Amino acid sequence: MTKALEDVEALEALEAAQPRALPAELSIYTATETHAQMLHWVDEAGADGTGPWPLQADAVAQADAAGLQLLLALQHSLQARGRRLLLVQPSAPLRHACSSLGLTGLLNA
Amino acid sequence: MAHVTDDLDQGFIAEALPAFISEAQEQIEQVEQLLLQLEDAPDDGDLLNALFRCAHTVKGSAGVFGLDAVVAFTHHVESLLDQLREGRVHLTPQLSTLLLQCNDQIRLLVDAAVDLAADLSASEGLRAQLVQQLQQLTDGGAAPSQPTAAATPGRADDGEVGVGVGAWRIRVRFGADTFRNGMDPWAIVAYLQGLGELRNMQLDEAAVPCLEQLEPESCHLAFDFELLTQANAAAIEAAFSFVRGDCELEICELEVTPPPRVAEVVADVVAEVMEVLRAEPAPAGEARKGKAREGVAEDGRFIRVQADRLDAVINLLGELVVASAGASLLARGTRQNTLIEANAQMERLIEEIRNGTLQLRMVPIGETFSRFRRVVRDTASQLDKDVTLEIVGGETELDKSMVERIADPLMHLVRNALDHGLETPAEREAVGKPAQGRLTLSACHESGTVLIRIQDDGRGIRRDKVLQKAWERGLLEPGVTPADADILKLIFEPGFSTADQVTNLSGRGVGMDVVRQNIEALRGTVEIESVPSEGTLIEIRLPLTLAIIDGFLVGASDSKFIFPLESVVEVINGDGQLELMQSSGRCCVELRGQVLPVMSLRDIYGLPIAAGSRPSVVVIRSGGRTYGVLVDSLLGHHQTVIKPLSRMFRSLRGISGSSILGNGEVALIFDVHALADLAATERMKRPIRSSRSPVSHLS
Repeated sequence: MTKALEDVEALEALEAAQPRALPAELSIYTATETHAQMLHWVDEAGADGTGPWPLQADAVAQADAAGLQLLLALQHSLQARGRRLLLVQPSAPLRHACSSLGLTGLLNA
Repeated sequence: MAHVTDDLDQGFIAEALPAFISEAQEQIEQVEQLLLQLEDAPDDGDLLNALFRCAHTVKGSAGVFGLDAVVAFTHHVESLLDQLREGRVHLTPQLSTLLLQCNDQIRLLVDAAVDLAADLSASEGLRAQLVQQLQQLTDGGAAPSQPTAAATPGRADDGEVGVGVGAWRIRVRFGADTFRNGMDPWAIVAYLQGLGELRNMQLDEAAVPCLEQLEPESCHLAFDFELLTQANAAAIEAAFSFVRGDCELEICELEVTPPPRVAEVVADVVAEVMEVLRAEPAPAGEARKGKAREGVAEDGRFIRVQADRLDAVINLLGELVVASAGASLLARGTRQNTLIEANAQMERLIEEIRNGTLQLRMVPIGETFSRFRRVVRDTASQLDKDVTLEIVGGETELDKSMVERIADPLMHLVRNALDHGLETPAEREAVGKPAQGRLTLSACHESGTVLIRIQDDGRGIRRDKVLQKAWERGLLEPGVTPADADILKLIFEPGFSTADQVTNLSGRGVGMDVVRQNIEALRGTVEIESVPSEGTLIEIRLPLTLAIIDGFLVGASDSKFIFPLESVVEVINGDGQLELMQSSGRCCVELRGQVLPVMSLRDIYGLPIAAGSRPSVVVIRSGGRTYGVLVDSLLGHHQTVIKPLSRMFRSLRGISGSSILGNGEVALIFDVHALADLAATERMKRPIRSSRSPVSHLS
């Protein structure tokens, strides 16, 4: 299956399932809660399939380095489970943060 | 930069801002001192470099906090300072004045960052004018270059137009506590973007653990990137100054071909680093890290401690002293010598710790003195006077809170000396004095107190003029001429002014009495000596600390009170006074030919009569007034740790604080000045009746 097709299927699955979404604030001030939420998602990630693992990212209005570090850690954990983090509709602030800190790989994943 | 400001959480800014303000204020103060030093040595390269660095640091840190107004204004100042250090512009007295005015505006803008109510609009016009003048000097009247303040905080290129761009490789691994310390690596990266072009940004993704092993508030970020900039290594390194102690940083120059002019002005520290980079076969990073460690070690000589924490420790030590005194008392009760000795040893050690801790609050007064350089400079030029300020004993230390509170009275005295004391050059030459007047500020320790002297070689104080004013203003009965020393003291009376014309500097007659009050509030004294046409000397004596005093413990009824020992003149037998006391608790006695008002503590505070008391009169002198206080018992010298009164007792008249005695009893500490007022006020309200003998002869 091609990557694009995989992504489309993953997106359809996302719409069907309970949507996972990044919070509006992805920063050190929300890091502990977001981390706990992500751990919960990761626990389920191994069970709900393979391939891309979509995460709605359009709501992110504020991001900092601590928030991006969380995304990287999430990506590592997903990779360990054979999944690939797919940021869906990343917001402009998130795109900007990723590109500033050399994390464009996250956007293109 | 705007995006970083927007994204930085307001809470973080609020937390970190006070530290920035404090640092910036220090830098601004430093700028002022450097400018004043440069007036004597306008070509001193070290001073000029230091000046540039200070302004650059203020601008850079202000940028991190998004204080665009500070950045924009300081940008212009920095540009001129850069030209100064490169020798393209020469520092003239006019330029120095301009820069001092600019520095005042930077101070205003920085202060406004915390004071939301501050209205800067009034000074906007002045700043615009200053900017125009700065631009004319830097650009030779050319079209002003707009500072890209918001986008390029700390941009070092503005002063180095025409200088080649250098390429730097920067590797940084942030410490685990970076986030917890309130720092955001992204903000630093964004700051560097403002210095030039950032490329090949790589984040070490492998350094970040997986979610399960990640502590969300620990930082695992490491970056490797290149920066094309006209800024030098010091400027790049400055971006990391807030995280320097907690990160591994390597800065290597990729193209080491700076034009000779830049090489000349690059800070010494960079030259040293480059030397090591070239000479050492070890990886360049090691050299940089070593340098960074050295810097940290240098910083480590001083620790910034919140004054509140220090106060809390001193407070606890006060408690410890009290507890230890209580333990000693109990030990003595047991009559066990070994226990008594052990307690005595502990008491000595606690005393040493307390003295050592009080020492931590001590700061040199020189910093406060240095501020007067500017005051003297500006005031003298305003008055067309030529005055040199000499500072002696700036290293003399006293309690920090004391230093803060003495600054205002000193300021007034210095201004007074400049305004009233020192003459214009023409006047001085006419009486055979050198044209330049001399004002000396000195400080030294003397018998457990700090002695501050303000001395000028001006016209001195004319006693006849003082007398005349005192008569006119009803401070003295017309025609009455007190002793010479007392005439000068009239200057400190409320509403006194000898100035023929009220100037905007002093002479409103509202200052000197306030000066005396402020000094006395610190348990200090002020004395004045003056020789007409030779000058005036004002001596201020202050206790070393506000936290502890030598007290004289007395009892009235079952209560204990403490007088500050230095205000106690003598103690006389008070047996005969009880029957003289009026219902108000006051009477007068004669002491060596002088009338001494006496008040009874028991009566004033409504205390019950205690059996078996041996009344004594403690003679107190405060602010030139002498009065007696009738007490029931004398309990001797007491080393007193002062505790403030709670809000409930603040209205208690004549009492300034409390102290806890060894046995746990509370003793109230007198405010001898307020007590004197209390005595005087009540006496006026209830004049001594002629039917009862107002004066009694003491045996």
